[in-house]
This record gives sequence, structure tokens and C-alpha cells, in this order.
Amino acid sequence: MVIIILLGGILAGGLGSITGLGGGMVIVPLLTLGFHLPIPQAVGVSLLGVIATSTGAAPRFVGTGMNNVRAGLFLQVAASSGALAGAWAAHLLPERTLFIVFGVVLAFASALSFKSMPSDVAGARESSPLALKLRLNSKYEQQGEWVPYHVTRVLPGFSVMIGAGFLSALLGIGSGAFKVLAMDRLMKIPFRVSTATSNFMIGMTAATSAGFYLTHGDTPPLIAGAVVLGVLVGSYAGAHVLAGARVRTLRQVFTVVLILVALQMLAKGLGLPL
Amino acid sequence: MSNLAQQRQFLARLVLRSFISLCLLLIVIGLVIFFATGGTHVPGNPGGKFSVIVARALQGGVGLHASAFLIAGIVVLLLTPIARLLAGVAMSARMRDSLYVVIGLVVLALVVAGLLIGQATA
Repeated sequence: MVIIILLGGILAGGLGSITGLGGGMVIVPLLTLGFHLPIPQAVGVSLLGVIATSTGAAPRFVGTGMNNVRAGLFLQVAASSGALAGAWAAHLLPERTLFIVFGVVLAFASALSFKSMPSDVAGARESSPLALKLRLNSKYEQQGEWVPYHVTRVLPGFSVMIGAGFLSALLGIGSGAFKVLAMDRLMKIPFRVSTATSNFMIGMTAATSAGFYLTHGDTPPLIAGAVVLGVLVGSYAGAHVLAGARVRTLRQVFTVVLILVALQMLAKGLGLPL
Repeated sequence: MSNLAQQRQFLARLVLRSFISLCLLLIVIGLVIFFATGGTHVPGNPGGKFSVIVARALQGGVGLHASAFLIAGIVVLLLTPIARLLAGVAMSARMRDSLYVVIGLVVLALVVAGLLIGQATA
């Protein structure tokens, strides 16, 4: 069992780092559908996998001039608050409901991944008063030059972060896509800055809820150890060994597999045979 | 880029890599002990006070229990993003940016609240 979970973690980490789709989307179905682990325990383990992926990638972002530390810290208040509520809700809601929500979110995220995300959409012309008050506007390095940018719609972005944190803790996923969407599309933070900032936030959000799951007794150490080791090895292999793989094809195949998994999670939640 | 900035970045990368390497090392040792001792004794889930979880992991480590190393690896992993957060708070404090010191401490309080609520609702 441990070896299969380890291999599952390697697969999740590898595919996650190549395709950009989160490994948590694989870990929770693997542990619940494959090994019949109660969903809160699967989520507790998956959140550790999320921290491992985020931390493993973190040194790449250090010193790139892409991190907006102020925006990250401010929005983290929302994401961590949402994560606390999500972890609590995961222990109050019936297991069947969690399967249905997971299935819906997984299907939605998979469908979204078919659409390519345009990078660096037109930035805001001026910062909103709240962004100015919080000094969220900053600059980033592009081809040796520092490019200033404005930040806007802070409260809508803050609200989406609460939702992203909630979903992350409820389902054991990184919610990176939602975090980047909030910063890039809503707050008009440049895409690359949003990606780098969300890396910090994904790990911090997962740490808030993983702590909850750990002290609540939902972290089986053997399974968690196998998943964390697998995810780290997989993401390293994905970034270094498989860098030349046909990412587009791989991403499409992975997306189809995730949609099938989403249907299976939905079927389990609805009590339907599939 | 100034020498000081380069040194800070080097230190940040070093801290991150050290945490993740230590976590990996502890987990690998835990898994090796698990398989070397027959691979049948599945360790139970830790729970309750965070300080007690850490203390038990340290005690178990002395007796070379697989669970102790695995739990220690999990704790180190959990502390890694918190170390990044503290680095952000420290940077804000150095720049005398009290607003972001407070915001960072609020985030830290939320992490601690997660540990306490998890324990209280167990």
C-alpha cells in the first residue's frame, strides 16, 4: 500500500509540475477512491503534499523581483481566514457532500485548464484608494528593466481569496488557479507577479489548515510521509527530467483523466454506481 | 543588485532548501525504519496539543520509532511556510513598516488558531 501511495505521489507531483494542474486534485481521489481513506484524512494528507509542492518550487521565485510581499501578506489574511473556516466545515459537512463539492470543483478546474490563460492582461491605469493606502502598487523586473504597476479592486480580490482558502482547506487542494485569477484578473497584478506571490500564499494557506487537521488527528503519518516524499520526487522529476516532454498533449490527457475522476467523485457523493 | 540583497537571497534559498531537505531526510528515515521492522506496524494518527505531538516525536526518535521520524518530518514541513512568513515579518520590521508587521502577525495568529481549534474539536 505504501509503495502504491508513494508512486501515486510521484505521479501527482510530476504531472502537477509539468502541466500546472495541482497535485491535490490527484491525491484526494487516490486516497479516498483507491484506499477508502476517510475524506478528512485524505484532505489532511493532501494539504501536506500541497505545502511540499509549494515549498519545493519556492527557491525558484526568490530574488526574481516578482514577489509582491505586501499583497501576499495582506491577501493571506483572507486566505488563512477562509482556510480556517474550510477546515472546520470539512469536519461538519457529511462526507457525501464533500465528494460532490470535490467533483464539481475538479470538473470546473479541469475544464478551465483547457482554456489557455492569457498572461499579463492590460494593467490598471491607476491604483485604487485602498491599494494606495496599503501600498500594494509595486514594480517588477522585465528584461533588465523595472516596470511599475498599479493595483485595483482590492476588496473583491480579498473576497475571492477567502473563497480560495476555504476550498483549499475543504478539499485539500492548492487553489492556485483561483488565487492567480483573483490577483491577475481582478486586481490587475501582472500575471508573473501573481504566480510568484501565489506560490507563497498556497503554502501558507495549506499550513493554516494542515495544522488544524494535524491536531484534530486527521494526519496518518505513514500515508502522509509516502505522499510528501512522492510529491517532492515527482515535482523535481517533472521540473528537471521531463522538462522536454510534450506538455500540451500531456496536459490534455491529464485533464481528461481528471474529468473522469471528477465524475467518479460525484457518483460516490450521489451514491450512484459508476 | 547590492551585495546585501544578494546575501539575503542566498540566505532565503538556503533556509528553504535546508527545511525541505531536513523534512525529506526525516521522512526517508521513518519509511526505512518502517520497512526494516517488517512493514506491518502502522503508526496511529497524532492529534491533540501541537507541543505534545512534537514532544512525542522527539521521545520516539530516541527509540528509533518510524512514526516519530515521520511526524517530525511532517512538523518540519508545516513549519517551512511559517518560516517564510516570519522572514516577511522580519523584513517589514527592519523597514519599520509597522502595518505589515501587524498584518503578518495576524496571519501567524490564524495559523496558531488553526492548531488550537483543530485540537479543541478533536
